Amino acid sequence: MTDPVRNPPDDSTLVRVRGLTTVLNGKTIFDKLDLDIPRGKVTAIMGPSGTGKTTLLKHITGQMTPDAGQILVDGKDVPRLSREALYKLREGIGYLFQNSALLTDFSVFENVAFPLRQHTKLPEVLIRNVVLLKLQAVGLRGAAQLMPNELSGGMARRVALARAIVFDPMLILYDEPFVGLDPVALNQVLKLIRTLNETLGITSVLVAHEIEAVKRIADHVFLIANGKVVAQGDPKTIANDGSAWTKQFFGGQEDGPVPFQYPAGDYAQALGFSGAAK
Amino acid sequence: MSARPVPTTNALTGSLAQIGGCGLFLLTLLAAIPRSFRYVRETLRQLWFVGAMSLTIIMVCGLFVGMVLMLQLYHVLSIFGGTSASGMVVALSVYRELGPVVTALLFAGRAGTSITAEIGLMRATDQIDAMEMMAVDPIAYVGTPRFLAGLIAMPLLCCVFCAMSVLGGHLVGVTWLGIDNGTFWSNMTAVVDLRTDIVNGVLLKSLAFGAVVTLIAVYQGFTTPPTSEGVAYATTRTVVASSIAILALDFVLTAFLM
Repeated sequence: MTDPVRNPPDDSTLVRVRGLTTVLNGKTIFDKLDLDIPRGKVTAIMGPSGTGKTTLLKHITGQMTPDAGQILVDGKDVPRLSREALYKLREGIGYLFQNSALLTDFSVFENVAFPLRQHTKLPEVLIRNVVLLKLQAVGLRGAAQLMPNELSGGMARRVALARAIVFDPMLILYDEPFVGLDPVALNQVLKLIRTLNETLGITSVLVAHEIEAVKRIADHVFLIANGKVVAQGDPKTIANDGSAWTKQFFGGQEDGPVPFQYPAGDYAQALGFSGAAK
Repeated sequence: MSARPVPTTNALTGSLAQIGGCGLFLLTLLAAIPRSFRYVRETLRQLWFVGAMSLTIIMVCGLFVGMVLMLQLYHVLSIFGGTSASGMVVALSVYRELGPVVTALLFAGRAGTSITAEIGLMRATDQIDAMEMMAVDPIAYVGTPRFLAGLIAMPLLCCVFCAMSVLGGHLVGVTWLGIDNGTFWSNMTAVVDLRTDIVNGVLLKSLAFGAVVTLIAVYQGFTTPPTSEGVAYATTRTVVASSIAILALDFVLTAFLM
């Protein structure tokens, strides 16, 4: 049963999802999903591939509209916001894309300065200082004049992170921040996420598959499967809660509640043996 | 809000859906014009890219079109002893039809395809979504400046094309084939009418073609599936759809303006 939503939410919850239902191409992605993302913490969203983790981030930011349900971010009902109100809300949200999504025509400096130039009338000297401050925070002040195609994957992700925090957002969403990173770059990104969370008090939500990395960084984990939250808690206890879902996911078993086979018709019939089966 | 691909069932309904989607997208672009005023620098950058960077191909092609036209006309008109009218016919052909149409076709190939490919790649690499997430309207920042740039650039490019064609006709007719220089210019100025040929023929048509080509290019870019294959198909569709639209619209405009 879906709980009634309090609006505005209490201070400890920044994102509140109630009865979220999404159907894409006939497939139910979310089936009355409920979850609360605590303010000021690092929350990880985990689950099998194709379970809708990135879709959930898109719902939180209003990039996608659900078929039913409520998504409250800082007390604002995202699917029902006007365009202007949604853009205003997004100014307080940072989003780190899986492939960094840097603007390829602009240098590293201009990429980080882009949101400032679009939304403020700050003098150039102040923009320069803010950008250099953010680049220093991610360790790339020296790369300010490089173009995105001159960056490694890890560097590009750190630049995207600097851009995402340029407005000191209340919420930052990381979509698969560790994919394709070598151990050094992965540790750098891990440290940055944790440091930003602690020093700026940002609420962080990350979608990730890397269990060890999540155990090191997350305060709270949601395991999503079959359109619902099947387990939640702090990363150490959730991994050992004994349910079939967590056993398979955290144990890396190839078969279980998450089937190895994608749903399909009768195998024998597909091979043309339907007559023999009779 | 970004435009999304139109679902299609077969070729006919698919084409109709594309035309409908394109029409709705035009309204979105026009509605975004007031918001795009703050991106004047981006519009100027695009004007440079689609206009100034297209000058070379427009000038060279205009020159050769004028030269070929004069060559053909001279030989045909010489049968009737009317070679002195060659310059006039070159000018009328270029101002009324060839100038706007060929410029638009070249513009679709040079600028239209690059607009589609650029926006398509921006979609494929999440740059459009990133703008949305930074609370920057991608239609106002990416779409409308390109549309306005195309709208401004096409008439200017068409004027350059026509001038180069007349110059090409003069080079072949007067310098090579020996038509009298005074006859060439006087026949031309006597017949060419400012309203019918220049305003309606050159400016109005090229303005309409510029709007159609850039609308199709921007629409295809925004609605392309975000894959390398999708971008390739979208680029091809821009050229095909623009070419058909230019020629069809040319017929309609000529019928109304004559």
